[in-house]
Amino acid sequence: MGAAEVISKTENVSGDAGKAPLIDIRNLRITFPSGGAEPKTVLKGINLSVQPGEIVGLVGESGAGKTTLARSILGVPPAPGRIAAGEVHFEGRQILSLSEAELRRLRGRRLSVVVPNPRAELNPLRKVGDQIASMAKIHLNVSRKEARRMALQMLRDVQIPDPERRMDAYPHELSGGMAQRVVIAMALICNPAFVISDDATSGLDVTVQAQILALLAKLAAEHGSAMLFITRDVGITAHFCDRIAVLFSGEIVEIAPREALFLEPAHPYTLMLLAAFSHSPKLRDSWSVPETARRRELAAGCQYADRCPIAQAVCRTHRPPFAEVSPGHFARCHFPVRHA
Amino acid sequence: MSAVLTIDNLYKRFPIAGSKQVVQAINGVSLTIEPGETLGLVGESGSGKTTVGRCIVGLIEPTAGTIRFRGKDLAQRHQHKSELGGKIQFVFQEPNESLDPRMKIGDTISEPLLPLKYDRETRRRRTADALRLVRLDPDLLDAYPSELSSGQQQRVGIARAMVTEPELVVLDEPTSALDPTARAEIIDLLRRIQRERNTAYLFISHDLSTVRFISHRVAVMYLGMIVEQGSAETVFNRPQHPYSSGLLSSVMLPHPHLKIESTVSLKGEIPSPINLPKGCFLASRCPFVIDRCRHEMPPAETVGERHTVHCFRHSDVAATVPASDTFNVFMKEAERILGRAKPGGLASSLQ
Repeated sequence: MGAAEVISKTENVSGDAGKAPLIDIRNLRITFPSGGAEPKTVLKGINLSVQPGEIVGLVGESGAGKTTLARSILGVPPAPGRIAAGEVHFEGRQILSLSEAELRRLRGRRLSVVVPNPRAELNPLRKVGDQIASMAKIHLNVSRKEARRMALQMLRDVQIPDPERRMDAYPHELSGGMAQRVVIAMALICNPAFVISDDATSGLDVTVQAQILALLAKLAAEHGSAMLFITRDVGITAHFCDRIAVLFSGEIVEIAPREALFLEPAHPYTLMLLAAFSHSPKLRDSWSVPETARRRELAAGCQYADRCPIAQAVCRTHRPPFAEVSPGHFARCHFPVRHA
Repeated sequence: MSAVLTIDNLYKRFPIAGSKQVVQAINGVSLTIEPGETLGLVGESGSGKTTVGRCIVGLIEPTAGTIRFRGKDLAQRHQHKSELGGKIQFVFQEPNESLDPRMKIGDTISEPLLPLKYDRETRRRRTADALRLVRLDPDLLDAYPSELSSGQQQRVGIARAMVTEPELVVLDEPTSALDPTARAEIIDLLRRIQRERNTAYLFISHDLSTVRFISHRVAVMYLGMIVEQGSAETVFNRPQHPYSSGLLSSVMLPHPHLKIESTVSLKGEIPSPINLPKGCFLASRCPFVIDRCRHEMPPAETVGERHTVHCFRHSDVAATVPASDTFNVFMKEAERILGRAKPGGLASSLQ
């Protein structure tokens, strides 16, 4: 089966269809058991691929399924979630069919994740230098001395002041920004090919966040790593990501190169999000419907129909196609927005 | 002109248990708020914004300095109890944490009226008015907080604050836990209430884009000091303190071409508020630093109408930092992009 065939079948969308993606998520469905007989589908068939060296943003409001996606890519959906369908192809392997032991070898080594709460991630009883070094020791099979040398270099790379001294610091001795840098150092020490940043900068102060973002981009470029950058903050993605996917209610509703997404948004949900930042009640009113008229999930048709100001009858009965509005720019909408 | 609130040289020190050290949370804050005015108080976490708000509403006792409400010293809060009753209110950050989960919405909203000795009928009427003011459905009076969305919960928080018809409301990060749409709706609501009732706001936030939009004036806090204070337009478009400029340049607006230009790139992180350095608190991070900054705290200098700045080199900062009106450019761009957008034709094969 040729790659092109797979791509057309699964509506997969990548930045450059000619190149083989580094990671390829196909039709990923995650369900959670609910009180009733039918489990609740939290991710409704996600198709997403990331090219080597590419930074892809994933934005969505709380509850859209961002963290579920981050964890599921690593083969561990948040409990009690279950992988109901789908494949994640990475470096020639289908991650979701790997054994627990194989997954463990992959995570941290070739694939790693940076989470938003660094303190919960670090062992409070171990010096941070040892924690970073042990990642290298376990995954790269280097000597203890070499692992420590690498850890120290990593602390320098993440621009922690006085890195020699910080090697022997315990997590509680570090500020939130420092602890976040340590977690980034742990995630990057094995030079992973793919990094998932799950809201990793949201708890930081803005001046520190700006530094950490610059650092992530620099390290990704130097190491040639690709990144999935998950965030609630649409503004960051406009300055940091090559392509952006917009997640709504467990579904990617729009994906586009950065310029196209912000200058010619096509899905009404994206327009609503951007209108919320405009501080113009007039614009907001034209791209949203009042809260009282929402919150009814539709079995058939478009998930967004009840909140969509331009929805028509067909939107409530038929699932919209993933329409290509310009090269590489897709929107799951029957009536993708046009820009005159 | 009589200010609603005047803070003069406020200090707050928190002792550290088992230590002789203190946390220097507020270090000489002075500000005024006029009736019907919004003062945006911005700064990063640990800058002392919330502590200032808590001193105003009496949740904590200042170490030194005075806070006057309509000229009355709040240190003698209890003596002015009848005149002050309900005139200063507070809205918290996390609506789901600040509402009592076992209390019905109606009771939560009317609770601040209890000490004011209104009869039952007046309380009922005022509660209904407050609910209408925040555009919540009267059916929700008997609901519990868990049945509401976080946007609705924050409306309850605002209704509870407004029910006593306050002259000043301290809003501590009222929108930061909310998604963009709910946030925009709450901001509209606050602006409408201010227009209708001439309420003054102290709007504490780290969200500069929202502060720019809602505030008449802005005070920028760093390590317990207001380093710059002035009209929102002046401080945002032409900052004269290196920290204001650095903070602004870290704002990322959802537009790929709009970045706030700054020659100030702040290095490192905020020093600990324990044992603060002798000179200017920004000296270790500031690209404009000169020797004098490390020894001497720059005094507040008036550089324009109600515009003060604590920096020896403010005129150099003003000269090198390009004046920009990026927030307004962004709003115009949003208008252009979203205003011209039209639904397209049917995209699928259903045609």
